Amino acid sequence: MLKLEALEVSYGEKKILNGIDLELKDGESLAVIGESGAGKTTLALSLMRLVDGSVKGKILFNGLDLLSLPEEAINELRGNRIAWAPQNSNNTLNPVHTILNQVAESITEHKLKNRREAGKQASILLSSFGIPVNRFSAYPHQLSGGEQQRVLLAIASANQPELLILDEPISSLDAPARAEVIELLKHTNQDCSFIVTTHDISTAAKLADKVAILYAGRIVELGLSGEVLSRPRHPYTRGLIRCYPDMTTGKDLQGIKGVMDRSVNGCSFHPRCTQAIEICRKEIPPLRLIQGRHIACHRGGIIPLLSTKNLSKRFDSLLAVDAVKITIEGGETLALVGESGSGKTTLAKLIMGLIEPTEGEIYLEDSLVSNRGKDFYRQVQMIFQNPGESLSHRLSVLELVRESLDIQEIGARDERDRLVRQVLREVELPDSEAFLNEYPHHLSAGEMQRVTIARALVLEPRLLIADEPVAFLDSSLQAKILKLLLKLQEQRGLSLLFITHDIAVARKISDRIAVMKDGKIVEQGPATKIITSPGHAYTRKLSQAALDLSLED
Amino acid sequence: MRNVITYVIAFLFILTLNFLLPRMLPGDPLMAIYGNEALIAMTPELKAHLVERFALDQPLWQQFGAYLLALVQGDLGHSYYYNSPVSSIVLGRLPWTLLLVGTALIISTLSGIVLGIESGWRRGSRRDKSLLTSLMAVSGFPDFFLGILLLIGFSVTWKIFPLSGAITPYSGLSGAALVLDVLHHLFLPATALTLSYIGASYLLTRNTMVTVLKNPYILMAKAKGLPDRVVRYQHAGRNALLPVITQTGIQLGRMVTGALFVEIVFAYPGLGYLTYEALLARDYPVLQGVLLIVAVSVLIANFLVDLSYSKLDPRIRYAH
Repeated sequence: MLKLEALEVSYGEKKILNGIDLELKDGESLAVIGESGAGKTTLALSLMRLVDGSVKGKILFNGLDLLSLPEEAINELRGNRIAWAPQNSNNTLNPVHTILNQVAESITEHKLKNRREAGKQASILLSSFGIPVNRFSAYPHQLSGGEQQRVLLAIASANQPELLILDEPISSLDAPARAEVIELLKHTNQDCSFIVTTHDISTAAKLADKVAILYAGRIVELGLSGEVLSRPRHPYTRGLIRCYPDMTTGKDLQGIKGVMDRSVNGCSFHPRCTQAIEICRKEIPPLRLIQGRHIACHRGGIIPLLSTKNLSKRFDSLLAVDAVKITIEGGETLALVGESGSGKTTLAKLIMGLIEPTEGEIYLEDSLVSNRGKDFYRQVQMIFQNPGESLSHRLSVLELVRESLDIQEIGARDERDRLVRQVLREVELPDSEAFLNEYPHHLSAGEMQRVTIARALVLEPRLLIADEPVAFLDSSLQAKILKLLLKLQEQRGLSLLFITHDIAVARKISDRIAVMKDGKIVEQGPATKIITSPGHAYTRKLSQAALDLSLED
Repeated sequence: MRNVITYVIAFLFILTLNFLLPRMLPGDPLMAIYGNEALIAMTPELKAHLVERFALDQPLWQQFGAYLLALVQGDLGHSYYYNSPVSSIVLGRLPWTLLLVGTALIISTLSGIVLGIESGWRRGSRRDKSLLTSLMAVSGFPDFFLGILLLIGFSVTWKIFPLSGAITPYSGLSGAALVLDVLHHLFLPATALTLSYIGASYLLTRNTMVTVLKNPYILMAKAKGLPDRVVRYQHAGRNALLPVITQTGIQLGRMVTGALFVEIVFAYPGLGYLTYEALLARDYPVLQGVLLIVAVSVLIANFLVDLSYSKLDPRIRYAH
């Protein structure tokens, strides 16, 4: 019913929307998600042909080309077959007319010329949107923000439109009212197609079948809501979801580094993207169908960084790792949770090549890892459980951190020292001469663990395997190290394989969790799902055993 | 309610001023109250009567009491120049001024609003620019100067309209013919006043329109698919009206002053012309009477504006 072809909207020199292609079928609903300034409102208004800027491309509504229709014809459609409800702000409703009149006006102008009949119909609408009868002749300023929003929705629904455009429709409502209004909207406008613009991911998930993620005037990801939101494939989408607080996420909120900038060349997200390569800086990626999802990314969306297939390790009679299949994506945290002896560390060592697998393969970015050279260790690094043991007591901090640079033969001596200082600052350690010459046994446990992190990070690896990195630390140090890892992930796009026995810690840091028992992965999935509705009995047991601060009466 | 108190205070202030001013003039208060004309007719009996009438031998506050008492009885004093009570002179002239000022006020405000809405709706269009230029030019002229131009053009040269007065004297007209005659005489002075005051309401409406159009409810109205005309008047114009109405109240006072000059130009027998005559004759009682009546009328008009304001803007109605 609605088709957008290469829609472009610009205000003067500034392009707000840039080649939007979209299709909406009868009765389908689409949520357009994006942060402020992404062009959501411009998109909504251009469908009403109410943008001030210049509009290029095509908007086909049931075969009518909206952009070439004469003004009277488009006026026939507005508020009638295509309706728009904006987010309630000050003066969205006309302050000098009663709300009943403002609803009835839409009806008299399009369908019913009889004022009394229109008034009656408007009353029915207002009641169904939960406005009490004695408020009908009230003026907008006498209503609460939520009531005003309901009036706006009633106005939009007045003529049973075929397409309803909701621009941030329910952000101004409180949570219980939201659910109710969403139900109402669906009920009042059956068979109607929706376009909802929002920055609120949960609204999108509830209202829409499909979501389109808008970034700097372009759609970067498009697909079914459930799929996109539970398994985002574009780095921006994942970033957005990580920013969004909801009752089931356990991971700390992470931002997306940088700010939106429309003026960049190439992919407009590349300055904020942690997996950008040369082509991202030069060419604009088209929206392509990649494995059942529309994604605009030169790299095909978030790349699977490391995966294992059927990976097993047998020590004599003991099958320590049993046909493990895991995938770690770029920039994500996979937490590997299990009791001691479940084979977690063995799995880490297999990946690192510290022991040879009995069976199975490991892939780094789709290429089989056979013999690990310097190149592999530049990309994959590990920090160990006990920093005291993993740091040689014969080397100073400077030498410890610089060692891998020396091995990899990166830069001249000065350059290496500079990199060491830089990475120390990054892990929030002093970079003074005195500290550089310290030996590990003079450092505190927290400092030592930071040094091991610095040592791993100095090569700028893409995957960091952290084997119980906080188990030896007290809880205040533990919190600091976890925050540090999350910060590094946000800034560098670092992938983490986080090994822990504590599911509570895993919840705070991971995007996905894999639960390991007796060498097998018994369950894996999004952290939210594993925490709130664990499928395996063992996972439930781990959850129950986790730390609980609540006091019993 | 608070409004009413404000008006009462303003009214009392005007009364006090009207009472105090002649009494504060140097010299004989009787002279100040009655002017030169009274001296000629003054006899000892009359003087004694007047001193008693104004309680001039009593302390000031008793004089004020006597003044108020006289006012309540409708006694504004006596004009020895016209040899009749001031109240009847002033009331006899009041309708003409009301007719002139009322007509000019209504026409200039209404057309100013309509033109302002049209102009502001498409700011920068050719229509807007030509309206703006011509109305600015016209309202740049002083009202009496416009009056003189109109008088010379339409009465002296083309002889379409009468030269002076409000009705043709001794014509014995009645009914519709009388109404036509009155309108015929009214046309030029009312036009002069209208033209010189239209600019203010036009400019204000136009400017208010420009800001009103930025409001989200205008976009909302367009999104409802309402015809242009409805968006322009029902939604934008209706909201642009409020400051214009306030301004009209303020304008009224200025227009009464304007009428003074225009009435002189056209020898139109209203309060303005009366003031002019009284000034020439130093007929103080009449001047005071006119001052009082004009001040009170402006007060009443402003009060009415205030009342209409709350009708126009529901936000004010419920604010109290």
